[in-house]
Amino acid sequence: MLSKGARAGFVFVGFAIAIGVILFAVFGYLRSSPPAIAATAASSQPNTVNVVMQVDGAVGVGPHPTWVGYWVRDAQGVYHQTTIFKVPERTHVHMTIYEYDSGGPLRNEVWGKVQGVQGGAVSLNGTPVSLINSSAGNGVAHTFVVPQLGVTVPLYGVNGNAKNFCNVGPCNLSEAHNTIQFTFYSGNTTHNYRWQCFVPCGLGFLTGNGGPMQNLGYMAGFVQVVK
Amino acid sequence: MAIDMSQSTGVGRSGDAGGASAAPSSRYRLNFITGTIAAAIGYLFGHWLGNAIAGHYPSIVNSGSNDPAMLLGFIFGTVGWFAGLGALNYPIAKLWGREVPLAEKKDKYPFMEYFSYSTDHKVVGKQYLVGMLFYFFIGGLLALAIRTELLSPTYHIWGPATYIEVVGEHGTMMMMMMTSIVMGPFGNFLIPLMIGSKKMAFPRLEAASFWFTIPAFFALLSALWEGGFQTGWTGYAPLSIQGGVGQDGYLYGFAMMGFSMILASINMVATIINYRAPGMRWSRMPVFAWGMITTAFTMLLSVPVLIDGLYVLGLDRAVQTSMLYGEHGGSPFLWENLFWFFGHPEVYLLALPGFALTTEILPVFCRKPIFAYKTSAAGMIGVAVLSFFVWQHHLFNSGINPDMRPLFMLSTELISIPTGFLYLVGMGTIWRARVRFTVPMLFMLAVFFNFLWGGITGVYNSDVPVDALIHGSFFVMAHFHFTIMGQLMFAVMGAVYYYTPLLFGIKLSEKLGKIHFWSMFIAFNSTFIPLFIVGFLGQPRRVFEYATRLQGLNQWVTISSYVLGLSLAFFVVTFVWQLVVSRPASPKNPWESRGMEWQVNIPIPAENFERIPVVLSGPYEYGNPNAGPIADLDPVVVGSES
Repeated sequence: MLSKGARAGFVFVGFAIAIGVILFAVFGYLRSSPPAIAATAASSQPNTVNVVMQVDGAVGVGPHPTWVGYWVRDAQGVYHQTTIFKVPERTHVHMTIYEYDSGGPLRNEVWGKVQGVQGGAVSLNGTPVSLINSSAGNGVAHTFVVPQLGVTVPLYGVNGNAKNFCNVGPCNLSEAHNTIQFTFYSGNTTHNYRWQCFVPCGLGFLTGNGGPMQNLGYMAGFVQVVK
Repeated sequence: MAIDMSQSTGVGRSGDAGGASAAPSSRYRLNFITGTIAAAIGYLFGHWLGNAIAGHYPSIVNSGSNDPAMLLGFIFGTVGWFAGLGALNYPIAKLWGREVPLAEKKDKYPFMEYFSYSTDHKVVGKQYLVGMLFYFFIGGLLALAIRTELLSPTYHIWGPATYIEVVGEHGTMMMMMMTSIVMGPFGNFLIPLMIGSKKMAFPRLEAASFWFTIPAFFALLSALWEGGFQTGWTGYAPLSIQGGVGQDGYLYGFAMMGFSMILASINMVATIINYRAPGMRWSRMPVFAWGMITTAFTMLLSVPVLIDGLYVLGLDRAVQTSMLYGEHGGSPFLWENLFWFFGHPEVYLLALPGFALTTEILPVFCRKPIFAYKTSAAGMIGVAVLSFFVWQHHLFNSGINPDMRPLFMLSTELISIPTGFLYLVGMGTIWRARVRFTVPMLFMLAVFFNFLWGGITGVYNSDVPVDALIHGSFFVMAHFHFTIMGQLMFAVMGAVYYYTPLLFGIKLSEKLGKIHFWSMFIAFNSTFIPLFIVGFLGQPRRVFEYATRLQGLNQWVTISSYVLGLSLAFFVVTFVWQLVVSRPASPKNPWESRGMEWQVNIPIPAENFERIPVVLSGPYEYGNPNAGPIADLDPVVVGSES
């Protein structure tokens, strides 16, 4: 039988190891998340920042390479597989989304209406659009929705039969895509605004909110409004 | 009294047919270290094999999800684990026609015995206790991670995917591992002592049932590092088919725990039916034994259905059979029904042992007999039987035939009657008793306070109109935490304080125990009562964000949960300290119990009883001046000279 002091020593060492393992699990794994990309200031317009993203038919890397997901471009022009971007408060955020995924009819056509953006319309390949009829043409591939800012933007899909269809990101501009541009206001306070794809995404997932729709770097993300 | 003590009654010392036999002595006994090494080798081989078989299929190439490799890795890892533990020596020897006797039981074992494939029910009981408490505390840490995220609706500690992974891990860890937190430690350790037996019926199955829990735990935990599983503990298809390889950890872990439960329950049923000492009539059997046998029968009938469902899910994931996938002609309802046919009896697999412990311990501190003993047994049987007729109340909102709803609403409400029996038996026992407010008794009283919240809300949870409103909300979550943690875990904590003299030969400090009890009781209620309100106000489960107006209540709950966590940490520290360092010795039968398990010496002799006792009266005859001793522990054996 070990002495009382030795037994106490083993107990202390045991507790120390347990606490170490817990801290490692928390900070080494659970706290990990995709990077947050800072928006770049617009050179031509005051009080405006630019955010450039692309949404691909499949991200091609990581634990879910077949999932549809987003990439965000940083100031150096490099794309990162993330859905988190930072913008300043009291700022106009000019978004450019390159959409590379095919589309289809919406389960609920109301999601085809553009809302919450300046001018009430987006630019779809240079043409102002305020409503997409998803039953016509290529349909809607995704929606970019920030509920607390009231922003809803349907993303027109590319032709699924396109010969230069891209399904592994990051895609390049020589491949079939649509360019959607719009601007929204970031609000007057700092805040973490959640955004995600609602309809047409989520079909087959628990309450429409599983899989890519709740994974950062895929179909869910944050608009981090900072000072 | 002279009785027949032939071998058929399980009488005998080591080496006899009915008892443990002399072991092959070996200096280098296989243990969990050799098991871990063999498991790692097995896992690597299985994973390699899976890649070799399926790695080139289009559905797997570049998918990041090679389910055959994961599942074969788990399967071969488990085989390696048992081979490394030495568990396969016996069946292999039998195949060669050799007989391998059980290891010899000892009064005192070396430390490494507790990390080996021991077939002594007292060692297995202790292994189970430490294992189950460990799993419980890991699940508890995950709960604190959930509550930390819910401190704020806008500032996020974890990402949304990490949050749902943590929720799924917590729920599954608690629901699947905690099914054995009573039968494992207390059932295996106490039942032979309570019924007057020297052993459990199938010591090797008993050992296997414990050692299955470890691959189950690690398979489940590994899911966190494999992208988690987003289905929660219910594993609904098609999400469970679409999920990444973390879902394989879920289904394999659950299946291994299912095997553990089946083995444990076979052993428990066989022991209680066949190994009762002479005079241990059904009407004299301890309530705890009634609880164990009803729980074991419920397990035996429900868990195989779950394993069947998991097998189907595994095939859908690994070889794409599409049995649960609606788009390809399968049916997700098949899974829902298979799962809940296990899943609702599962709730009673948690509740029944809690009531069994409570009813067993109450009369000791009330110093009066159990009120309506037979009603208690009838209540347990009633709950066990009816638990198989209620499962579709989980599917009220799933699109089932509406005509089925009233039937299952009625059957669910009916089950409150036998449950009420158990509650009223407890109340009747306490009524006009001269209660000794020891730490175990405080925990048992708390069981009834907590269960009242859980039980009453459960009755109207089962009503279709109410269920349609609160389904998927925190209200339901608060309800089942009151019935499971508030009932089962308080009973377990009380039992830990009550049975440590038997298990470890020490008596835990009453003063420290009362600090633990009051902090846990207050913090538990402060955590979960507000969640009824939060749920009623519309906060959904499994979502990491919520309405800003609910932030105050959520912060209150989170802070309360931290206090609850600190209380449990206080228990762990004081328990380990007293167990390992200070070791306050316990006298024999410190609670003055009449239970047969308390009539033995501390520490308990290797064979439990010198001779199989003859039971003379019931175990609850407190306050009866005419009650004789519960048993003759040294009966005269036919043909012997003593």
